Amino acid sequence: MRPVPDRDSAAWWEAVRRHELTVQVCDDCGTPRFPARAVCHRCRSFAWSWRPAAGTGRVVSWVVTHQVFAPAFAGAVPYTVVLVRLDDAEDCLMHGGFTGTPSADLPVRARFDDVGDDLTLVNWVPA
Amino acid sequence: MSAPGFRDRTAVAGVGYTPFSKNSGVSTLTLAARAVLAALEDAGLGPDDVDGLATHRVGDSAAPWLVASALGIREPSWYLDQFGGGSVSHSVVGQAALAVASGIARTVVCYRAINARSEFRMGGTGRAVPVSPEVQYQAPYGFFAPPQQYAMYARAHMLKYGTKEEHFGRLAVTQRANAVKNPRALMRDPITLDDYLSSRWIAEPFRLLDCCLETDGACALVVTTAERARDLRQPAVTISAAAWGGGDSFLSGGRADVTVTAAAELAPRLYAMAGVRPRDIDVAQIYDCFTYSVIVQLEDYGFCGKGEGGPFVADGHTSLDGDLPVNTHGGFLSEGYVHGINHIAEAVSQLRGQAGDRQVPGAEVALSTAQPGYILPATSALILRADR
Repeated sequence: MRPVPDRDSAAWWEAVRRHELTVQVCDDCGTPRFPARAVCHRCRSFAWSWRPAAGTGRVVSWVVTHQVFAPAFAGAVPYTVVLVRLDDAEDCLMHGGFTGTPSADLPVRARFDDVGDDLTLVNWVPA
Repeated sequence: MSAPGFRDRTAVAGVGYTPFSKNSGVSTLTLAARAVLAALEDAGLGPDDVDGLATHRVGDSAAPWLVASALGIREPSWYLDQFGGGSVSHSVVGQAALAVASGIARTVVCYRAINARSEFRMGGTGRAVPVSPEVQYQAPYGFFAPPQQYAMYARAHMLKYGTKEEHFGRLAVTQRANAVKNPRALMRDPITLDDYLSSRWIAEPFRLLDCCLETDGACALVVTTAERARDLRQPAVTISAAAWGGGDSFLSGGRADVTVTAAAELAPRLYAMAGVRPRDIDVAQIYDCFTYSVIVQLEDYGFCGKGEGGPFVADGHTSLDGDLPVNTHGGFLSEGYVHGINHIAEAVSQLRGQAGDRQVPGAEVALSTAQPGYILPATSALILRADR
């Protein structure tokens, strides 16, 4: 199931395509944010930059999906999706695939998987 | 913020249902029309008395102007066609109450009509991925259905507070016991904790019996002034408070703790508006799209401490004979799921003293809540009062 980038997020996906994990950082107050948006939720500035993220984090939670919610995943069940809190952006949480069984607060790092000629996804592996 | 100018000035004067099923065999327009007429009949009114119609939907149901047209309601002066799912379910009634309190409308019928099993599967199986900017970061991993979203937060709560699968199971068992006493409920066979623990996985930590019932059906409520409701057929149930909003979710970049819902931000406003405290609530209908959503709301609406929702349920507080009976109709888990409105309808039945074998004796104040604000960063809730 392909992601559908919007005008705010296109640059984030392009960075992922280059195997770079980024977060948006407010140029005025320095608050990092994710998902991508054009305005800072703290100081309401529209000035921002993309900052490389360390690409490491901790597992907040995970779900093992058994139900086939869409035909594209019929061959994948059961599969695990983790929710990761970034080490260098505490309020930024990202989803991603995980192989094996995670645990609470497990240190993880981003792995870039090229799943097609023009698509890269961020998955997570033990750090 | 208190609102004495709003408190108890409006009332729910009528309640109507269609039967609940897995396949209604009819359109959502037909379901809506039947429920609206049933609610008017209950109130002792007719379509010619209606000057407002209100609903919420997610592109899955009949619009209010269509329902008005179908029922020959010629001059409705007020419509609400709210986009949104369960989180806005109670704000629809709140906004109808505002329209009535302001005098813009006199008699508003709120309804929700869904074929959530036979057409647009609410649980997400086999339907299109929702159109929302956040979904792009999740759907590529096969993660987009409501049970998955809630299961993620449920596990975070388990990890942080020690909430156990047996707590979820006890909640499912308790609500089923209520549904046994509800002739309208879809699921009326009692279940045990073993039945719960042996039900199949949907999205771990959720099993089948953690999930509400995808249901075909409709429900409607007549909202009018409290003064007028007192002259109508049924005992009046006044709207003491209606609140919606609740701030942000973790997806909006403001909340770092995924075990807290928007209800925690909304609840103080709601109680102040009604002039009551949690211990004044006699019966609560708490949005149970999943078992966990009740547990987290028991905490966020102040009935127990943060992290204590699981033991609170396991200790029996929320049973029909407990000190806070919850989801007395069986809830979405066992009665059926009409996206929120059937919780309000059950609260009204309890406050009228018409809930039959499941009646909470002497119930005077009820809380009814919406989806607590994860998928949309907002929620809504009502406090209702028996007018006697």
